[in-house]
Amino acid sequence: MLLTTSVGSFPKPDYLIKARSRFRKKEIGQQELRRLEEQSTREWIARQEDLGIDILVDGEQYRGDMATYFAENLEGFAISSLVRSYGNRYYRKPVVIGPIRRKRPITIEWFKFAQGLTKKPVKGMLTGPYTIMDWSFNEHYPNRRAVALAIARVIHDEAKDLERAGATYIQIDEPALSTRTEEIDLAIEAMKICTQGLRAKTITHICYGDFAAIYPKMLKLAVDQIDLEFANRKFELLATFKKPRFTKEVGLGVVDVHSHRTESKEEVIGNIEQALKVFKPEQIYVDPDCGLKTRTVDEAVDKLRVIVEAAREVRSRLGTKHSVHSTSLSTDPERAKRVEGSALSTKARRLVNSR
Amino acid sequence: MKTTVIGNYPKVAEDSYGTKVIGALNRWQKGEVNNEDLEQVFSETTASVIAEQEAAGIDIITDGQIRWEDLVTPLAKRVDGFSINGLTRFYNNNVYYRQPILERAPRWKGPALVDDFRKAKALVKRAALKAVIPGPWTFTQLIEDRHFKQPVKCMQALAEILHQEAKALAEAGAAFVQIDEPSVGATPPPAASWLKAMSTITKGLPAKTSARFYFYSPDGLFAKLQDAAVDAIGLDIVSDPKLLGRILKVRWHKALGLGCVDARNTKLETIADLRKLFDRVTKVVPADQLFVSPNCGLEFLPHDKAIAKLRLMVDAVRQWQRG
Ligand SMILES: [Zn+2]
Repeated sequence: MLLTTSVGSFPKPDYLIKARSRFRKKEIGQQELRRLEEQSTREWIARQEDLGIDILVDGEQYRGDMATYFAENLEGFAISSLVRSYGNRYYRKPVVIGPIRRKRPITIEWFKFAQGLTKKPVKGMLTGPYTIMDWSFNEHYPNRRAVALAIARVIHDEAKDLERAGATYIQIDEPALSTRTEEIDLAIEAMKICTQGLRAKTITHICYGDFAAIYPKMLKLAVDQIDLEFANRKFELLATFKKPRFTKEVGLGVVDVHSHRTESKEEVIGNIEQALKVFKPEQIYVDPDCGLKTRTVDEAVDKLRVIVEAAREVRSRLGTKHSVHSTSLSTDPERAKRVEGSALSTKARRLVNSR
Repeated sequence: MKTTVIGNYPKVAEDSYGTKVIGALNRWQKGEVNNEDLEQVFSETTASVIAEQEAAGIDIITDGQIRWEDLVTPLAKRVDGFSINGLTRFYNNNVYYRQPILERAPRWKGPALVDDFRKAKALVKRAALKAVIPGPWTFTQLIEDRHFKQPVKCMQALAEILHQEAKALAEAGAAFVQIDEPSVGATPPPAASWLKAMSTITKGLPAKTSARFYFYSPDGLFAKLQDAAVDAIGLDIVSDPKLLGRILKVRWHKALGLGCVDARNTKLETIADLRKLFDRVTKVVPADQLFVSPNCGLEFLPHDKAIAKLRLMVDAVRQWQRG
């Protein structure tokens, strides 16, 4: 219970930022860039192990924008010229110009590389179909739904490949889901395609938005765990999840990724204890609010350290009262539905039977 | 039938006037260039944007809002009572803005947008130049109100300020003042209070006025729109495809702004579809009371697509006029 993890991205070290910029100017080649991406991935795996994090991520050192990364590696997408995001920030937006197909696996090689560096589980990290759709222009499909469903099918194939490569946790992020809460049904429909028949534990991360408008409906998302930002709005979200009961596991964001300040251990313990009034300890995974890529390497490490220390302390306080083996999965009917009809792992079969 | 735009225009154009705004703002933020140097880049870019709209054949243009951070900050930073807060999402777009906070009673300190309007006016050769201000409800909704803590009160106070600004713009030569109200669809205001705020703004204004609704349909207030104290109502029929049906059922006694070219997606409309649309809409609005435009500002598009859409829109109108 109270396993610690991360949402996905970590900051890139200076040498990698420089290398990426030199690569764009064609001053260094693909091979040299790759060498440095691997070096920095190794560093992040080692840091997470040193800190004692339970479920690792590769840190996405080789990715730029989380939607564009997938668009660049899929057939049917072009990349636009510059559009403004906010302030003085501009980016190139994916454009759907033809049928969306996956030419080859996208993230598998990096997953294998990262998992090969550690005995702890590394999460497979994908961007969700609703988000890729919402963050792209569409010149090909008749409507938003058709785009999202086409992307869902390729993300499903990618997730299957991750599972085959040994991923026991697969996270499919939908940060855009909170933008247009009226499209929650579409996001649910698309996610169902993504996770159909997967035996790995599935997670989705959604960024801060109007959860009151999509709760409890968001519990229909076909994943085992929903990971959310709690810290940056001082845990106001908890009130929403009191009733009806939150039936999935929750990824509990306990530190704010937008602030430079490192939270104190007591603060984070307080956050976890607040959450324990609404969730069972077995339901909770502890992590930062969102990807840490906007922090410095030192800030990110400091925030992760506090999370591990706080989770350990709360765990030992609770230790005598709760069994570590109990699981909340059996309370989630969506999971049972999803794995039904697929070849069930022993673990999954046990979970389904225990209902 | 006239063509117009809603307001903002791409600040960077890799295919024509370049990306110098990005570098200039970066250096200005670091203190490496002064206000005059930054203003020089803004002026040059504004000149390109105005020339481009004129060359495309748009009848009523804007200055492209190249200096604007977003719809409300240019006013908020020059009206007494505001501070600027953290990033917040701009409606249902994957675009963010820094939210102004109203800390105390707002006070108009003098024209905020008039300088920019005058500079732009000097650059215009043929077209009419319209001034754009946020609507009273949109202004209220896009800020965090820590002073009134009552949206209706806040709206009315901001309407007084917007009136002074609109008056100053009209006196500086703005023949058209457009009032942007996306929040009316997003979070409907109490109708009577909103109508009152609108008439506060436009009272005695020596300019043609319009209220523009985009991103969302102003569903809750649709029946009241024609009671608003403005000369024209502008609607976005792209974001809500059902809105066209409602427009066609109404007898319009105001001019209609028809936001019919999608400024949030790169897919080009076809001239044939637009001509068919004009056929239908001119059955309920006389052609000389119809203003054809993109559904919202063009800044959501990459520049090459924005200009392509404007050219296509003008083409469609001209072909329709030739019959
Ligand atoms: Zn997030």
